[in-house]
Amino acid sequence: MRVLYCVKTMNKNNKLREFSPLFEPKTVAVIGASAKSPTLPNHFIRRIREFGYSGEIYPIHPSATEIDGLTAYKTLADTPLPVDYAYIAVAGAQIPAMLEAAKGHVRFAQVISSGFGEVDEGKDLQDQLVASARAGGMRLIGPNCLGIFTPRGGVTFAEVGPQETGTVGVVSQSGGLGTDIVRRGLGRGVKFSGLITVGNCADVTPTELLEYYFADAQTKVIGMYIETAKDGRRMFEMLRTQKAAKPVVILKGGRTQQGLLAAASHTGSLAGDDRVWIALSKQTGCVMVDTLDQFIDTLLLFQSLTPQPQHPTQRVTLFGNGGGASVLATDYFAKLGLDVTPFGAETIAALAALKLPPGTSITNPVDCPVGTLQQDDGRVAEKILDIIYGSGKPDALVMHLNMSAFVGRSKPEVLDNLVAAALRVQEKYPGQAHFVLVLRSDGEPTLEQRKREFRARAVALGVPVYDEMSNAGHALAALKSHERFVWSRSTDSS
Amino acid sequence: MKAQDLIAQARAQQRTALDEYAGKSLLTEYGVAVPRSATVKNANEVDAAFARLKPPLVVKIMSPDILHKSDAGGVKIGVKSAVEAKDAINAMAASPRIKDARIDGYLIEEMAPAGQEIVIGGLRDPQFGPLVMVGLGGIFVEVLADVSFRICPITRLDAEEMLAELKGAAILAGARGRKPVSRAAIVDALMKIGGENGLLMQHMQHDGDISEADINPLMVSESAAVAVDARFILR
Repeated sequence: MRVLYCVKTMNKNNKLREFSPLFEPKTVAVIGASAKSPTLPNHFIRRIREFGYSGEIYPIHPSATEIDGLTAYKTLADTPLPVDYAYIAVAGAQIPAMLEAAKGHVRFAQVISSGFGEVDEGKDLQDQLVASARAGGMRLIGPNCLGIFTPRGGVTFAEVGPQETGTVGVVSQSGGLGTDIVRRGLGRGVKFSGLITVGNCADVTPTELLEYYFADAQTKVIGMYIETAKDGRRMFEMLRTQKAAKPVVILKGGRTQQGLLAAASHTGSLAGDDRVWIALSKQTGCVMVDTLDQFIDTLLLFQSLTPQPQHPTQRVTLFGNGGGASVLATDYFAKLGLDVTPFGAETIAALAALKLPPGTSITNPVDCPVGTLQQDDGRVAEKILDIIYGSGKPDALVMHLNMSAFVGRSKPEVLDNLVAAALRVQEKYPGQAHFVLVLRSDGEPTLEQRKREFRARAVALGVPVYDEMSNAGHALAALKSHERFVWSRSTDSS
Repeated sequence: MKAQDLIAQARAQQRTALDEYAGKSLLTEYGVAVPRSATVKNANEVDAAFARLKPPLVVKIMSPDILHKSDAGGVKIGVKSAVEAKDAINAMAASPRIKDARIDGYLIEEMAPAGQEIVIGGLRDPQFGPLVMVGLGGIFVEVLADVSFRICPITRLDAEEMLAELKGAAILAGARGRKPVSRAAIVDALMKIGGENGLLMQHMQHDGDISEADINPLMVSESAAVAVDARFILR
């Protein structure tokens, strides 16, 4: 066992050491920037300067001596310091010779250009690209991708605002989707430890980057958008060894029919589709999601909440305003394998003793009309939640507020007070229940603005916020499945 | 015969699959129980074979040209005497769907005790390597595709979870007045096929010699599991 442990630790340090320069480059080379008219690489230079990149930037150009106010160099081998990260976006056919000319002076080259293995006529060029990266002594990322977003390194491929380094590490095989994940994720409160687009994965594979994120202390939850896993076997073995030490959320694109095409047996004809990915998730504890929204919702949940494997999420209490909405949510949660079941007699008696106004339902779902919630400027919630936590003991509490219903009826601070009350109760019972907030609105601009402010405050306090109950339900179901896996494997000796 | 020899022999004979006898010998190598059996070339050899087996028996045709033995009239069950066995063999040899086929001989087997039919399969995924599958036999697998896959090697916990996720899992516990069957025996069989040192890990890895496997059915009683038919496709 001890030997095995040492090997694991060694690998972990190796991956950290190998990939750290990619996520925190001290020197960045850029190929494809123009001295005359702005190209994508010119935008890249502008973006990383705006994003706060503080290291050296070396434009590489065959003839220009200066680009965007920076000294340009003829080849990757000519820069004053070795290059940690090279961003390359020029016509594909020129690139192999450029990589080979680096002569061990470059650690990582990310090739943005396309026209390689993703098209039949580019397959040979991709082989050349890989061979020349090897000859040039570097690791290759891509080709056919968009770049890396790494707040701690000050490097970004997208036009984005916040620079805070978070805990969510993502690998995306699609560049465009990578942009969506960054932009929409940031909008919803996801904070990234890094996001890298890997395109054709001609050299560096998603598995290696997952390994890096597992080893990286900054990363708490890992997300991956994947279409094909060329090194599926290695991915499986690595994930299996990790036993979901960090939650891994997988969004899989492209259903494969490979199993079906070749089948000569009964078993073969039943394989197909995504059965192998379902198997992977069952054996490694990765959570599979179906849509981009679910992907972001689930990452946000794991960013905010600490899994409790010793009591996996099962019993959920719904608390908020909106009778129909909570009935619908109860049904939907049941479909997802979560229980919204009525409290025991003791809890109900304690809630009844509060003598809440008529129209309030106290059995779970706890449905409180606005009239009830605004009692004592919203502080009534604290009393209700104290009883729910102390006596009802749910695994998770979903507080849902239909913001439209408060408009024109309550003081603005009621919503604040409600959430503050919930957080105080949460603090009084640490680790007892996951707390999730659903802010429902109708799209009316001033309401949306308030919701945005509210969301930002809640997320900063570690509360994941969702637009609808169903989103919260999917995220909680993912949490449940992660917790169950970790628990089952921690007690398994087989 | 050892596993590698069984496969080498089939290859030498230009086969694309192991015949039933070789397939069951392979299963025996990995500790999966199969019925006691004997093979005969023709009806004349039946008496010697019969002396070693306990009726009732089943007689099956062995032919590389016949994939679906029952459909072709190549299976006779409930055979109680040597005379019945000889009659069955002669009838098969003369039957219209068999008489022009290449016949390797006939497999005479003891009948497995009645139980629940289970299917265990194996498949090589180009990216992930060997996969193991389990399902309940009959309509569950054929019509409802109620099966569960895992990537090899599996642990016992994986095997138990595979059974638990079948929609028909309640059948194993003895639904509708039937006797429960041994889950442990199914899990054992799954481990022998899909576990760390199992058949699929040995024969379905990168340069492995088997591409697909069907054990259909594995007959499972209250206490044991026996592979009644098996098919291994060579790469």
